[in-house]
Amino acid sequence: MNPAFYLPLGLEEGLETTVQRFGPAHEALDLHLPVVQNEDLLRWIEVLREARGTNLAARPIQEVLRSLDKVTRRFLDRKDPARREAVESLATFGRFTAAMLDRSIDDAFQPLARNGLSRWIVTELGSVQVLDRPAEGVRGTVRRARGPEWMLQIYAGNVPTLPVWPIYSALVLKAALLGKTSAREPLFAPLLARTIAEVDEKLGACLAVVWWKGGTGGLDRTALSAAPAVLAFGGEEAVGSVGRQAMPGASVVLHGPKVSVGYVERRALTFAGIRGLAARAAHDVSMYDQDGCLSPHAFYVERRGQVSPEKFGEALAAALEEASKDLPPVVAEEEEAAGVQLARAQARFESAGIATVTRVLESPGSTAWTVIVDDRARFEPGPTRRTIRVHAVDGPDEVARVLAPAARSIEALGLEARGPERLKLAARFADLGIPRIAAVGSLQNPVPWGTHGGLPRLLPFVTWTTVDQVGGTSGPAKAPGAIRRRLRAAGIRRR
Amino acid sequence: MDSMSPGTHLWLSYAGWEACDRDEWEERFAKLARGRFVGQVPRIAPYDAYVAHLGVRFTTLRQWQDIPPVPASAFKSHDLTMGPPGSELVVFETSGTTISRPGRVRLSDTSLYDASLLESFRRHLLPDGAVMPAVVFGPTRIEAPHSSLWYMCDHVVTKLARSGVWIVRDGNPDWDLADRTLEAAVSEGTPLLVLGTTLLLAAYGERLQAAGHRFALPPGSRVMDTGGAKGLRAEFTREEIERMIEGSLGIPPTHLVNEYGMAELASQFYDDSLRAHTEGRPALPGKTIPPWVRTRVLDPETMKEQSEGARGLLVHYDLANFETPFAVQTEDLGTIRDGRLFLEGRLTGAEARGCSLTFERFLEEERRA
Repeated sequence: MNPAFYLPLGLEEGLETTVQRFGPAHEALDLHLPVVQNEDLLRWIEVLREARGTNLAARPIQEVLRSLDKVTRRFLDRKDPARREAVESLATFGRFTAAMLDRSIDDAFQPLARNGLSRWIVTELGSVQVLDRPAEGVRGTVRRARGPEWMLQIYAGNVPTLPVWPIYSALVLKAALLGKTSAREPLFAPLLARTIAEVDEKLGACLAVVWWKGGTGGLDRTALSAAPAVLAFGGEEAVGSVGRQAMPGASVVLHGPKVSVGYVERRALTFAGIRGLAARAAHDVSMYDQDGCLSPHAFYVERRGQVSPEKFGEALAAALEEASKDLPPVVAEEEEAAGVQLARAQARFESAGIATVTRVLESPGSTAWTVIVDDRARFEPGPTRRTIRVHAVDGPDEVARVLAPAARSIEALGLEARGPERLKLAARFADLGIPRIAAVGSLQNPVPWGTHGGLPRLLPFVTWTTVDQVGGTSGPAKAPGAIRRRLRAAGIRRR
Repeated sequence: MDSMSPGTHLWLSYAGWEACDRDEWEERFAKLARGRFVGQVPRIAPYDAYVAHLGVRFTTLRQWQDIPPVPASAFKSHDLTMGPPGSELVVFETSGTTISRPGRVRLSDTSLYDASLLESFRRHLLPDGAVMPAVVFGPTRIEAPHSSLWYMCDHVVTKLARSGVWIVRDGNPDWDLADRTLEAAVSEGTPLLVLGTTLLLAAYGERLQAAGHRFALPPGSRVMDTGGAKGLRAEFTREEIERMIEGSLGIPPTHLVNEYGMAELASQFYDDSLRAHTEGRPALPGKTIPPWVRTRVLDPETMKEQSEGARGLLVHYDLANFETPFAVQTEDLGTIRDGRLFLEGRLTGAEARGCSLTFERFLEEERRA
């Protein structure tokens, strides 16, 4: 039986639990869950707030960082029981294969190791000490950063290690945390919370991670109407409803559905480099079976390189076949497979006529991967399951034209180009408002000191105390409302 | 010849097929299917190109199962009608599938379409030959000229009912009109034929229940509901719908008949409930596949034929599709058991899964931009 929740010591006592079946019908798994009622949530929130007051609010940040570093090292150690349990239980659950999980855990924790966590804090807040006391930060300002008393985090289930940076962010900001998992992946977040508690009991006392059926009203409303800070991931409708129900004045950051794309400049299309390039592109496509927001759905490939866009498509197909051995896809649900087949049939239909699709390459006898080569640029997110479109283009203008209307839905662009050309192209795509320009092959490796969805990860939840310097010239006062306007411009809402 | 014009269509009758034994039936369908294919390919240019691209030739076609279906999404990207533009009498817009703009089904001759829909409706909703006033929980055809559903209801009211009242006007349901119509039927003791979408009927039922009101429509009243079976937004189980209809309209589940159809197909699939009740036998589960339609269930992973009772992707071959490709690959999932169709979900898109993006949402973005 798998306990798919984490509650701090004391709260588990007398708790009513139930067994619920999750997952696709062909490999549903019984999970052990608490029966969550409105009163429970309110009581837990109360207990978490108290625990934070006693254990965390006044705790030196270095102590928190040391404990989190230990947790990071445990998850990076393939022999550690916590890591092994994560890989085994999630693989049994059937949404991800063991190979994918290993890769995902490495990708999530490696950038946090070796001072990565401090680097993240310094990048956003100017220094680590500002979390303890007024300290000198950027350009000599003396200020103190304060996180919310507690945070509500709502996770999506498309990427198993998605909860890692959010959970770390809450503890770094010395906030208690109530996390709500997704039915699609309810296991990793409680496991991480339990490991944190094993490493540091006091931190563990400030965390609770549970699942309840979202969107049913009652429990969502109870949690949202009390939370001073909300970080939510999910579908358009889900995050929309979170936004509407949040408490006035709460700091709310919502991450809705996004996809990514890739761009290959013609000088990068060399005979010598094509296999390596295709392998890196195939990795970006294959991770999470293309369900992540960093998963590319299209590569825009310039004409007139040594290797043509069509040949790039062929190389990508071969690389996807290779990748399906190293990172095997999970068994498709029928709905997903049906979507892939319809996309393939549609592409074949288009390739037959005067339309521009020229080739449809696919894994034989399965929906493991599909490459659709198209002779013109367009943006048409596919049915996932490693279904990738390769569009031949003359240059970035064509691509900008098709991406512009959908730019809000694009999380990242994988860019393959060298030298000054790379910077020029990056500038062109940055103009569209695409939040991240990465190298092909590292789309799935964002770093915590970068943004998520174009937003910093800590700052939206921080309030500052600035200590003015006596005798200094602080310049003219900012017009009232200027900060709020700036925050709004950055997509952060304070209501 | 059948492939050149709709002509007479003796084969569009349940009785005609039921008179055949299994082999005759199969032979007859194969012959008509080949005729339909041979007639359509040269006249629908994109279908012609597709068939050629797949390397399918008339001369080497061994069985009707080898006739390539068009993906339902192709109605959105291509004009798949035999008649030249401008020759159409009606244009239906497709919905529900997920690639680019709405698809169009242009028909310059609706005689087969009409004959098919009337034959199946009569068989499943009017097995007792009743003629009664109808109330449509939806708009008139004039208000919704591109909806195949409201076209169908309009046609049913005109040809098979005594009179018709349409509840949706200017895009909004007129609940008072519904109340008045039902009240009149109750006080006059006239059975009613109720047609509509599952969602709208459920909304009306909820409204009545909230007001503490219940109609006891005269015995013989019946409901055709559609949409719920495809699992659109409906948060209701079939049992809940049955309870709701019985509780609010006084129409028992024996007189509630669910329909499954799509703009790309001229034929519809119905529950057996009312027909079974009329014949005094237990209802067969699932939906009736009209004999001039064949539905194949394919393993979505391999596109090979599924074994009986296994869930898969549905491909319909509908002989009543005269001007548009008669073989259509859908996004619907289902099974066939004992020759009857069970709908079991439809592609819901990646939206429900968190971070990915559906075509619908992309389109929304496009419209907003």
